[in-house]
Amino acid sequence: MKIVIIGASAAGISAAKTIKASEPDTEVVIIAKEDRVHSRCMLHKFLGHQRDAQGISFIADDFFESSGISWLNNTTVTGLDAQNKTVKTHDNQDISYDKLLIASGASYFIPPIPGLRESKNVYGFRDLKDAQLLDRECNTAKDAVVIGAGLVGMDAAVALLERGLKVTVIEMTAAVMSLQLDQKSADAYQQLFEEHGAAFILADKVVSVDVDAVGRGRTIHLASGKAVAADLIVIAAGVRPAFNFTEGSGIATNHAILVGDDLKTNIDDIYAAGDVTGMAGIWPNAMKQGRIAAINMLGEKLLYQDRYALKNTINFFGLTTLSLGNINPQPEEKCQILIREDRNNYQKLVIKNGVVEGVIFQGNIGGSGFWQYLIKNKIDLSAKNKDLFSLSYADFYDQDPATGEYRYAV
Amino acid sequence: MKRIIIDREKCDGCLNCNIACISAHQEGSNFYTVDLQDPDAQARNFIKYDPQKGYLPLFCRHCDQAECVLSCISGALEKDPLTGHVQYDENKCAACYMCVMNCPYGVLKPDNKSRTKLIKCDFCDDKPDDPSCVKACPKKAIAVKEVSL
Amino acid sequence: MNSNFSCQTCASADQKLETFISKLSVETSHHRMEGQSVKCGFGLQGICCRLCSNGPCRITPDGPKGVCGATADTIVARNFLRAVSAGSGCYIHIVENTALMLKKTAASKGVLKGKLALAKLAEIFAVEEADEHVRAEKIADMVLADLYKPDYVKMELVEKMAYKPRFDRWKELGILPGGAKSEVFAGVVKTSTNLNSDPVDMYLNCLKLGISTGLYGLTLTNLLNDVMLGEPSIRLAPVGLRVIDSDYINIMITGHQHSIFAYLQDRLIQDDVIKKAAAVGAKGFKLVGCTCVGQDLQLRGQHYQEVFNGHAGNNFTSEAILATGAIDAVLSEFNCTLPGIEPICEELKIKQICLDDVSKKANAEMMPFVFEEKESQSNDIIDAVIAAYQARRGVVALNIDGDHGNDDTLTGVSEGSLKSFLGGTWKPLIDLIVAGEIKGIAGVVGCSSLTAGGHDVLTVNLVKELIAKDILVLSAGCSSGGLENVGLMSPSAASQAGPKLRAVCESLGIPPVLNFGPCLAIGRLELVATELAEAIGVDLPQLPLVLSAPQWLEEQALADGAFGLALGLPLHLGLPPFVTGSPVAVQVFTQDMLNLTGGQLIIDDNAKSAAASLDAIIEKKRKELNI
Repeated sequence: MKIVIIGASAAGISAAKTIKASEPDTEVVIIAKEDRVHSRCMLHKFLGHQRDAQGISFIADDFFESSGISWLNNTTVTGLDAQNKTVKTHDNQDISYDKLLIASGASYFIPPIPGLRESKNVYGFRDLKDAQLLDRECNTAKDAVVIGAGLVGMDAAVALLERGLKVTVIEMTAAVMSLQLDQKSADAYQQLFEEHGAAFILADKVVSVDVDAVGRGRTIHLASGKAVAADLIVIAAGVRPAFNFTEGSGIATNHAILVGDDLKTNIDDIYAAGDVTGMAGIWPNAMKQGRIAAINMLGEKLLYQDRYALKNTINFFGLTTLSLGNINPQPEEKCQILIREDRNNYQKLVIKNGVVEGVIFQGNIGGSGFWQYLIKNKIDLSAKNKDLFSLSYADFYDQDPATGEYRYAV
Repeated sequence: MKRIIIDREKCDGCLNCNIACISAHQEGSNFYTVDLQDPDAQARNFIKYDPQKGYLPLFCRHCDQAECVLSCISGALEKDPLTGHVQYDENKCAACYMCVMNCPYGVLKPDNKSRTKLIKCDFCDDKPDDPSCVKACPKKAIAVKEVSL
Repeated sequence: MNSNFSCQTCASADQKLETFISKLSVETSHHRMEGQSVKCGFGLQGICCRLCSNGPCRITPDGPKGVCGATADTIVARNFLRAVSAGSGCYIHIVENTALMLKKTAASKGVLKGKLALAKLAEIFAVEEADEHVRAEKIADMVLADLYKPDYVKMELVEKMAYKPRFDRWKELGILPGGAKSEVFAGVVKTSTNLNSDPVDMYLNCLKLGISTGLYGLTLTNLLNDVMLGEPSIRLAPVGLRVIDSDYINIMITGHQHSIFAYLQDRLIQDDVIKKAAAVGAKGFKLVGCTCVGQDLQLRGQHYQEVFNGHAGNNFTSEAILATGAIDAVLSEFNCTLPGIEPICEELKIKQICLDDVSKKANAEMMPFVFEEKESQSNDIIDAVIAAYQARRGVVALNIDGDHGNDDTLTGVSEGSLKSFLGGTWKPLIDLIVAGEIKGIAGVVGCSSLTAGGHDVLTVNLVKELIAKDILVLSAGCSSGGLENVGLMSPSAASQAGPKLRAVCESLGIPPVLNFGPCLAIGRLELVATELAEAIGVDLPQLPLVLSAPQWLEEQALADGAFGLALGLPLHLGLPPFVTGSPVAVQVFTQDMLNLTGGQLIIDDNAKSAAASLDAIIEKKRKELNI
């Protein structure tokens, strides 16, 4: 059997690994537009010059050779013929498959703001190529503007600060990383970034960009009337699943490729995993989807059920945060909010009817992994006659006598 | 694979496993000389106490389907195909701590001092014999056993 | 009896003993080592505190202080001072009993065998009474008066006993002890819950306890005993399990208080008692030496050749001695009387009698020694032992390794006997040291333990290393029990010494390791050191002299160690005394002590490197003396 995988990020590589681990004889081809496999979550380490391109790889150096996987890099898939089971590439190869995994990820999105799309010095921060382009700009640029203070924007900002640029972050909402943090925990990061030289303009919007004679965006105008000078602009305003090449193939889409619990599309033998499905959200989920899709392509049946994606960890300047679930409940949700603080920690629990809905742990996050289980499985804690902050996995301690693995006693 | 099997009824909470673990990861130290006040002194195992259940030893299971490996963005966490143990490569790690978030049993934690490393059991695979904690348990509450995956 | 004991016994430097024990059907300490091989890290580092109900607190990365706020430095210092106080208490108990015994013996015009010792003490104490009994009683009274002083009144004999430069230094440091018993009390109070938290203050307190322990508990106990029981004199004697003669009714003695046996040991060889023994089929009674009191008897063996068979072994040989089946009774009056002998005595029907309740064994008969009733008590003991002999002989199998030990251990070495051996002056020894024929002196003292490689392993290996470097070894304590049984105290051991020391030993017919006897005799080593220093005209820390307690075992050893440090001597220990969890403790003992007293602690469980360190210190001191 020959399995073709489009995309070499979390989902694609995880699928390839899973296939080769259980059926080494299965032929696997990975097609990727990138030059080399890299972890997008580590791009800031590349741009910040803490690591080179090799250093942000998340596979072993000899991964393709040792696992016998065909690696088509710098190759863009341009078309898909589901009838004849082939994919077409930018260089006019027709690559046949028995089963296909679409793990082509997502692309960054530049909002339609006058001057912004036209500017030659606007970059996303999505893959190594982006980082390499930015890297070159950093050699001469002084003023950097990052549009969007989500995780990607903050990643870019930290790297640009590392490179000694003056960084201004512009954000529509009133706080940084507003999907992951509440005001208090966001303020802590903002303060740290400011201590390292960043400036923030929050609750404001870019309305236009002045483009100079050579086509570079120079001045960014905001709704408030402020104007910010820029030598380079990073746009971090969100991503869109990338599946242009499926046009006309008959694959059902709705802003993303639609898949069932088995991660199969509406067409037999074609599966999708990762950001392209619009339901991965974060790296670990993409990895898991890749694995599950692979297992299903090999003929077993495994469902993607651990869909919980409202989760993240943040680590900037050594300040670590765990964020899970509904962390900024609206008043009408009538949630109970518990806060515990000390010199080095800010902890917040959002509880409704005895069930924890959201968690922010800022500071010490050691041993906090069990919270995700409690939230996504909606474990009722009202019978736990205990300070909820002092919970640990030990409160649900149980072991499988046969294997010695832990399981939950709930 | 070999796993540290826990007989929690036997645990007395003496924390000798903690010391053994810290010592095993503090170059050149032994039980007399291990510096427990060093900010880098962190055990990879934990003993929790519950008034009803008694002592609850938390040790990395090197899970069959290791969530930490699946969540790793850098390839720093890998399941060794030979030993079955989840090994951690500090040099690869990007300290994103997705693994901390995804370990369902709360066994993983960032290093206290720099928040640039993960503190995780390595099964003392670089040392002969059993893991240091197992050797140090006076109650034999932890023992290495072969389990089938 | 527990039959589940480990079949794995620990190693012993004494190969024959190791083999003997490994084949025993009774459990010994050597069997129990394996079951205790996993040690508590907090205990080893001394950072567990059980002083209050908030505890036990242990210093961990997540809990760097106890609930009360005590740091590792405070916890370690408290634990250590508590241990030194207890250890001091043990020795002070011994000297108190010994002084009381001398007082009563003198008052009742009893026999005083040690005329030279009496004269010496009278001279030191400046007692001028002509009548020897009055003189002895006065000496005893002076010792007791000091022991019973409150802690805020300094003991008067310290200045008379101590070498002047040392006394002056101690005075400067403010560590001259008050009444020795009260000092123990003070140490216990100081270390109770939420009292003293100053590690340095507590370590200075340890030195104070070291001084009272050393001068009174050790040195004076020896000299007072010598007055009653006779001075040691040099001779060759048999040692090891071979000394046990099954034709006799055998009593193993354990403890540290020789004078408690003073009457009994003479009584056992009187005709009517021998007749009683003969009536049940024995040739008579014999005392078999074990632990330090056995060493004391061996040391004074010249006076007790008829009743004393010889020294069979040290504390961790006691179970094996009983397992020979040829011991009919154990008389104990102090440590080291291991609880482990109890089931063996039970199984082998060995009568256990305790003469001092401080060492009451769980299944022993308590017969507290009363001086005024010593005649009737001795008769009671004799009858009880005869009854045991009758009940067990023929029923209990005999298992004596007649090959164990040797017949030519040089014993009876003391400050007095050694000096007279040298012709009544230290000059020959000093000349040998100056000439480099003897590079230096190492006092290898203290206990025997089963750690640091096994039973006596480090002690024996270290001594071999030291003598190979031409360093003369003087031993006192259970260490000497191990060293004699492996033959290092036999003249033939000279062949194991370095060429220069070997030549000295061979010309004098002595071994390179001299046996001063019990741990109490560490006080005799102090006398030797002081007399040498006096003769040369230097202070103790300048001498090419080092101390080592390679296998220190117990709290008493820590009090001894504190004495060694107060004397300003380098002190090697095989294993740390539960202090390494405290940076301050490590700093004080290994560095700062040099400036305080001149002493220094060296921790090393490797015989080769430890010997090299000690050798380097000796070389350095020689250099500083220009020799």
